[in-house]
Amino acid sequence: MSRIRLQGLTRRFGAVTAVDDMGLDIADGEFLVLLGPSGCGKSTLLRMIAGLLPPTEGRLWLGDTDITHLPPQRRDVAMVFQSYALYPHLSVASNIGFPLRTRKRPRAEIRAKVAEVAATLDLTGLLDRKPRELSGGQRQRVALGRALVRDPGAFLMDEPLSNLDAKLRAGTRAEIAELHRRLRTTTVYVTHDQVEAMTMATRIALLNEGRLEQLGTPSEVYDAPASVFAATFLGSPAMNVVDATVRSVDGVLRAEAEGLLLSLGIEADIPDRPVRLGVRPEHLTLTPAGKQGIRAVVTAVENLGSEEVAQCRAGHTAVSVRGPRPLGVTSGEAVTLAARPDRLHLFDQNSGRRLAWQAASVPEPV
Amino acid sequence: MVSGTFVEVAAPARNREAGTAGTAPASRESGWSRIRRLAPPYLYLVPAVVLLVVWTYQPLAQTFVLSTYSWNLVPSTPMVDVGLGNYERLLGTPELGRAVWRTVVVILGMLPFTVVIPVAVALLTRRVRGRAQGVYRALVFAPMLVAPVAGAAVWQWLLDPSAGAVNRVLGTDVNWLNTASTAQWSIIVITGWHVVGFAVLVVTAGLAGINPDYAAAAQVDGASRSQVTRWVTLPLLSPTLAFLALMTVLLSAQWTFPLIDTLTQGGPVSSTTNLYYLLWEYGFRSHDAGLAAAAGVLFFLGFIVVAALLTRLAARLSHHDD
Ligand SMILES: Nc1ncnc2c1ncn2[C@@H]1O[C@H](COP(=O)(O)OP(=O)(O)OP(=O)(O)O)[C@@H](O)[C@H]1O
Ligand SMILES: [Mg+2]
Repeated sequence: MSRIRLQGLTRRFGAVTAVDDMGLDIADGEFLVLLGPSGCGKSTLLRMIAGLLPPTEGRLWLGDTDITHLPPQRRDVAMVFQSYALYPHLSVASNIGFPLRTRKRPRAEIRAKVAEVAATLDLTGLLDRKPRELSGGQRQRVALGRALVRDPGAFLMDEPLSNLDAKLRAGTRAEIAELHRRLRTTTVYVTHDQVEAMTMATRIALLNEGRLEQLGTPSEVYDAPASVFAATFLGSPAMNVVDATVRSVDGVLRAEAEGLLLSLGIEADIPDRPVRLGVRPEHLTLTPAGKQGIRAVVTAVENLGSEEVAQCRAGHTAVSVRGPRPLGVTSGEAVTLAARPDRLHLFDQNSGRRLAWQAASVPEPV
Repeated sequence: MVSGTFVEVAAPARNREAGTAGTAPASRESGWSRIRRLAPPYLYLVPAVVLLVVWTYQPLAQTFVLSTYSWNLVPSTPMVDVGLGNYERLLGTPELGRAVWRTVVVILGMLPFTVVIPVAVALLTRRVRGRAQGVYRALVFAPMLVAPVAGAAVWQWLLDPSAGAVNRVLGTDVNWLNTASTAQWSIIVITGWHVVGFAVLVVTAGLAGINPDYAAAAQVDGASRSQVTRWVTLPLLSPTLAFLALMTVLLSAQWTFPLIDTLTQGGPVSSTTNLYYLLWEYGFRSHDAGLAAAAGVLFFLGFIVVAALLTRLAARLSHHDD
């Protein structure tokens, strides 16, 4: 049993609140990604779970035991550090075997277990080297091996791939995901890389300034962002967000702003309501000028290889459009951008939280 | 039907495109401007080199020369060339062997004060937080700021056989500084008291230089506090400890000198006469400049060998922390 539960977990450093009233329930076998911008408190939260940092307030459970006040050596978790923290004076074999050595296991058992882990991680030929004689990718695998060697209740990983180059990162990402599929060990994985989050997570916990902004599967977080922050943090280029007013015309709701008119496809009659309207760049389509949509002028076209991004200006706001290459527009061209009603996201103008449409209570047929 | 052929796309041209003048010959530089370009680093070094030559290398060379003469330090008496005579005389005296042994005792006696106690104190004060930590360190470092001779005067008073505080606290009546069996240890303890603060400072700096992630990783890996200290912290501290050991071996006998000179003058019955004091006695008591110079040269060569061995050991111990 290695379900991890956090309740009202808070950590303050003087006046700074690094983690604010965090509540999370991480199921056994889950791969939870803590995602957020730099300084949002991801590492602080992970170090509290590891026991390296005492929380200012709140409680923490691993399985059924309250581990809030347990020192790190008595928590059944393994951690991979961003710096890897491989012991520089020990060989690769001793590094991997270290957790077993602290548990006073017999030498023969340690040697066998280390050999087994080294084989799965393709480190067999490197066991006698010192960490300084390894490449970045090899160090990363040794750090992983040190965590794997003792079947921990949970893995904690703090940006383990951030020191690798793009190609190695993609490969190691797949390896870690595969490892998790095989072992099914609860994993809490910190990253600020949205690709890692989207591809590896069973659930993403999106953090902003120490608070939980949204918790959900990658598709939930991407398709139904809970706030303007979540909407603009995930996706590249970021979701376009413009101020608009929802108005009911002829019994149908539509979003309006200067040079913007998009139907929301909802039949209702409500008073005008100011909102923030969001639409992802890949959900905007170019239509001939003069039709209903967002009127804009193309300012630049970026080539991404497989796709193109057209940077446009609509009134005072910048809007980007992403689509298969070639998009067929050139800089300076006037265009109209359209989007399907179900691709539009509405957010409250003050709180920034997502607005979901709820039809007036019609008695449901039982 | 239109016919055609495949043409290989040319690789980008190398030098031309980059626009560098890689193949163009560099313009000739005149001799004077070349000097002006290369001279500044050497000019910056000149003052330091001059001081080193005047104060270190020249006296060293003069010592070598002096060690082959017989001279009583009186400017009006002539210096007599005796070749290797001084060395023969020196190696023939039984005093030399005894002084070497006493120097070894001083070095071994100093190691607890320069390595063991500082490591323990630094590890313990690390756990104290905030202002108290600074206060502790200041207290430990304070003796270093007391001039050795002033410290010696106070200790003489404390160790006084009739009214001294040490005897009163211990309930003994030992004449610490005038008994052959205790004089050497008194000198060692007083010197240790003097340098321990400095050693604590060095160890503290060494500890601060160790990335805290290692200890954190070891804790998560299940290591208890003492295992972290034994298996991670101390091995990573070993370059610092090797440095302190090297300092102790090379400098202990020198550190004791002002204390010996004020408290025991090498006695009683030569029990505190180590190499440096012996050298000094030859030169400035017996006024045998040639013999003192020969002793100086021998010690110099001996310590070079010891230092070379220890530095090699230290280099092997150091782990590149990256
Ligand atoms: N020891 C500390 N003392 C004071 N403030 C701290 C300390 N550790 C972290 N903080 C603050 O807490 C906040 C969260 O830091 P944390 O390291 O958890 O961020 P992070 O999300 O891991 O960022 P990154 O992605 O850059 O690693 C930051 O504002 C940081 O300045
Ligand atoms: Mg971090």
